[in-house]
Amino acid sequence: MSAAATLMWFLTLVFDTFGQLALKAAAGAEGDGLEHWKSMVKDKWIYLGVSAYVIEFFVWLAFLSMVPLSQGVLVGSVNILSVIIGGRIFFKEALTPKRIVASILVAAGVALVGWAS
Amino acid sequence: MSAGQASMRPFYLIGFLLLVAFDTAAQIGFKFAATNTSPATFSPEWIFSVICEKWSYLSLAGYLGAFITWMTLLKTAPIGPAFAASHLEVVTVLIVCVTWLHEKLTLPQIIGSLLIVGGIILFAVAEAEIEEPAHV
Repeated sequence: MSAAATLMWFLTLVFDTFGQLALKAAAGAEGDGLEHWKSMVKDKWIYLGVSAYVIEFFVWLAFLSMVPLSQGVLVGSVNILSVIIGGRIFFKEALTPKRIVASILVAAGVALVGWAS
Repeated sequence: MSAGQASMRPFYLIGFLLLVAFDTAAQIGFKFAATNTSPATFSPEWIFSVICEKWSYLSLAGYLGAFITWMTLLKTAPIGPAFAASHLEVVTVLIVCVTWLHEKLTLPQIIGSLLIVGGIILFAVAEAEIEEPAHV
């Protein structure tokens, strides 16, 4: 990967991880069903999360214009691990041996499908 | 495991199946819309052709449905495992591509799909023994 492609990949990693953590922060709002949405739209996190996704969409397009899709999916599997780590740090989610192995299995599977496609 | 967590199982199962169905529909719509409007020049004509393309709307509806489902799931689901499990979409898109679009399935793709499914089953097994911190 060229330096520019590596930078784009790093940016997709940052925006994807930040976006997922922001959506998790937004989803913690009170209420069920429609009430849940009413409290979420008053919160900054849903807007930060959606904005991160819109930016990531364009960075992803730029990244894919530099590398083949298969390589894109391959390195994109790293996001799974960064979101697991982010969940641990910011939401104190348990990181048991089973969850660690499960994360590695899914990430390896996504990387393999990406590499092979 | 508390009774409250035990009752979350059907909610997670239905939620994730719905999420994967919406995600898969979005990807299929995206694929057809991209093919029908190719090449992506980002010119006004191209943008207009994307707006007029009916598959764009399957994609849009899929993304919207997935977003609503995702936010509802995340109210209680831990983000790390939920995000990992949402990659089941990779397997379902592959299945659709092979059965309907007659794309060729390779051995590494089969092994990769089995790893993803195996990882998700392990996440489900791990759920049974974890007490998540109370939500704020």
